[in-house]
Amino acid sequence: MIRVIRRYQFSAAHVLARSDWSDARNRAVYGKCANPSGHGHNYRIELSLEGLLDFGSAVDAIVARRVLADLDARFLNREVAAFARVVPTAENIARHIWDTLSEALAPARLAGVRLVETSNNSVEYFGSEPHHEQDRGSGRAAAARDR
Amino acid sequence: MLITRRLEFSASYRDRSGTTHGHNWELEVTLSGPIDVETGMVIDLKELKEVMEREVEARFDHRSLNDDTPFFRDRAPTPESFAALVFELLDRALPNRLLQRIRLSPTRDLTIEVDR
Repeated sequence: MIRVIRRYQFSAAHVLARSDWSDARNRAVYGKCANPSGHGHNYRIELSLEGLLDFGSAVDAIVARRVLADLDARFLNREVAAFARVVPTAENIARHIWDTLSEALAPARLAGVRLVETSNNSVEYFGSEPHHEQDRGSGRAAAARDR
Repeated sequence: MLITRRLEFSASYRDRSGTTHGHNWELEVTLSGPIDVETGMVIDLKELKEVMEREVEARFDHRSLNDDTPFFRDRAPTPESFAALVFELLDRALPNRLLQRIRLSPTRDLTIEVDR
């Protein structure tokens, strides 16, 4: 099995806050990331691709059109439909990229999406996994969040 | 969903030959869990950061693994035994068996991985 990892980047602003929560609750759960003015990151995407062969440039064109054009230089909460109601955490952005690309890259197969938010933080998503579907409780995120 | 956070710290140790040396250790901690439907997060990164600072940085940064910690009084540390210890300390401190893997690198040419 050969797996090719292709790297892309985009820069975007986001706020971590839910519109159906009070400011105080958003502050409590998301900390400084709940600042309504937003803050930004230079995000790095790493796509793991299988069966790529020489389809690299085709993949680049699809990623550019369907992902980068949608996310780059945007305020994610306000300008990207997928995040109108979904909080654009790194986890949710990675899942959004997976959902956008997983069926779109044939004959290459998407094996994983890694999203690097800062030099210290990254997330990886490989599609829905049965043992991940359960909600293990939502009370963990009580303290301020440092992103 | 995997989520990974990185930490660097400096610690010295005395190996079995009696030589004392030190490294800038690089640690990557990876958790595996579902995205919380309410918050959109696997874990509060602040909580993960605090656990890593308390369990690893506060114990080992700018310390001698042999002389300044209780773990290697009777046996010389190796990168492997140190990595196993770090996994155990973090696993005990993190909720819900979220810890999936650590990668501990004493130098950029050597990495020890401990998987659940």
